[in-house]
Amino acid sequence: MRLEAKLALFNALSKLLLVLLGAVVIPPIVSRVAVAHTDQRLHEKREEVLQLIQRDGISAFVQGEEYADYNILKQEYITLTPLPPTPDGSHAPHPPRIFDEPRQVDNQIEDFRIMSQQFATNGRNYRLEIGSSLATVELLTDTLRRMALWVLVIGALLTIATDAAFAHYLLRPLQHLITSKLQGVHHPSGFSYEPLETTTTDFRRLDDSLNETMRRVQTAFEKEREFMSNVSHELLTPVSILQSRFENMLQDPELGHAHSLKIVESQKTLYRLRNTVKTLLLIANIENEQYLRDEAVSLAAVLADVTNELDDRLAQRDIKLLEDLQPDFVVRQANRTLLFTLLFNLISNAIKYNRWGGSITVQGRPEADGYRLSVTDTGPGIAPQHLPHLFDRFRRFQAGASAPEGYGLGLPIAKTIAGFHNAPLTVQSTEGKGTTFSLLFS
Amino acid sequence: MHVLIVEDEKSLHQEVRQFLLQSQYLVDSAYTYAEASEKIFVNSYDFVLLDLGLPGGDGLDLLREARRNDRQEASFIILTARGAIDDRVKGLDLGADDYLPKPFSLMELQSRMQAITRRKFGLKRQELNFGNGFQLDATGRTIRYNDQDVSLTKKEFDLLHYLLLHKNRVLTRLQLGEHLWGNVLEDDSDSNYIDVHIKNIRKKLGQFAPTDFLETVRGIGYRVADSN
Repeated sequence: MRLEAKLALFNALSKLLLVLLGAVVIPPIVSRVAVAHTDQRLHEKREEVLQLIQRDGISAFVQGEEYADYNILKQEYITLTPLPPTPDGSHAPHPPRIFDEPRQVDNQIEDFRIMSQQFATNGRNYRLEIGSSLATVELLTDTLRRMALWVLVIGALLTIATDAAFAHYLLRPLQHLITSKLQGVHHPSGFSYEPLETTTTDFRRLDDSLNETMRRVQTAFEKEREFMSNVSHELLTPVSILQSRFENMLQDPELGHAHSLKIVESQKTLYRLRNTVKTLLLIANIENEQYLRDEAVSLAAVLADVTNELDDRLAQRDIKLLEDLQPDFVVRQANRTLLFTLLFNLISNAIKYNRWGGSITVQGRPEADGYRLSVTDTGPGIAPQHLPHLFDRFRRFQAGASAPEGYGLGLPIAKTIAGFHNAPLTVQSTEGKGTTFSLLFS
Repeated sequence: MHVLIVEDEKSLHQEVRQFLLQSQYLVDSAYTYAEASEKIFVNSYDFVLLDLGLPGGDGLDLLREARRNDRQEASFIILTARGAIDDRVKGLDLGADDYLPKPFSLMELQSRMQAITRRKFGLKRQELNFGNGFQLDATGRTIRYNDQDVSLTKKEFDLLHYLLLHKNRVLTRLQLGEHLWGNVLEDDSDSNYIDVHIKNIRKKLGQFAPTDFLETVRGIGYRVADSN
């Protein structure tokens, strides 16, 4: 997952958590505030009533039994109740108490927040109760709660959006770095050294060190290329001299037969040396990206070229070649010469290690993750313990006295070319039945 | 035919020179860039065999220079051991007629030179008579015996053609194999493919006339002898 997406996700999650926390914490706080607010109001009213009583006298309110006053909607009430004298006749002023209790008002029972106080005036004890309907309190609480939550949610959404936008802006140089410098760069020569436009020090450093590393890699590649060029010159020139000399010697009419045979033997040895050097150079050149991969190549066409070259060998060993490409596959960004060498090596091996009168099946099938091309022979197969080392350079297996000569370079070449085309080369073998090499082109 | 060998490696130079002299070519030598440049300018050659890594300059520059002020049409064959892949393309783009990577076979060099000569003088049909009444048409890739078609496979034809081009010379199995499979790196030098090809050629031609002209040189290789 991309950094930007991760940041946005984290941001959204943390904001969600904040909103949830708000949803849990805000209601009790809000109801507390509302209650405190109500209590405060009740206190104030109490003070007011007491002041009125002081000014106008208690008789202005309580003539008989009890004084009660409601507002129309019965959200509030005030009662003044004369109390029976206490047994000891003392005044029993009660400190004000606040509690919740149901009260009947006009045949309706409702919950009230009640402020109750006892006080003495004119030698009598009275109880003052001021009540505020709890429904009113709850209405207030509800409104407050809803408002707080809305503010929280809107705030969270807004900050999520701004944070994401800012993160996007901030991370844009990194994104650019990834698309333009890292993706699709398989070789230092395809790397863009243009400095990254950013004011973020970290990205600046990242870009600088990336450029520096790539420069070093490129230098190393160039040195290797130069080295390979020198090595090939230094090794192939002496081989060339010897090869020409042997050829000239063989043309000498005075050369005896015994010496001629020696020269032919030397020629063979030299040929072996030459092929080893050339193979190593070929592998090194492929690994050093000296070959272009700029053609779209049809596998069927390459296969036709290969079988055309190998027809005689197939006939000589009475081996049938079955081509079964359904359908054909065009490898994009391929090197035709190298693909030819690859298929040639695989099929030539399948001939070499086949039994007389056997067969070779070349099968091509589209698969979920690409196109699989497999070459199956009907040879003696390869022992399981040898399979892991099959593609190692300079290793060959003695399958018995009848094993054909070879210096074990065909498969490493095939493997290298397959790797160059991003088509993994794998092998499966059953002893006594045959061997299958398969390539998976993506 | 006048050939200039441009090669700084003395031993190789000597071998190529000896081979070409034996093959009745007129041979001239240059060991450095300056020497080659001067000789190409002064003399007129049919062939310039050009090594690329020369003391004093790059062979490709020499080719470019020669092509710019060329009065005669010398054919350039590039001979190089330099590993660079684009040398071949560059060389052919600059007007080289052929390109042989070192190490090369002298026989192969000679047959390339013959092919260039044929092209240059517009010999549309190249016909070789051999044996008693056989005729090989190199352009049409056919073999006839008294107007009867002899059918050979592609490789059998190439093999016979190569032997005919080097008449009276023993060609080893390696030389023949290299000609047939030149582009491919083969790792079995002891294969008997060549023997089987020769056997088939003898069988197919033998239906028409004796094939004594195609000789086996024991332990070494094969030779086509002059029928006269």
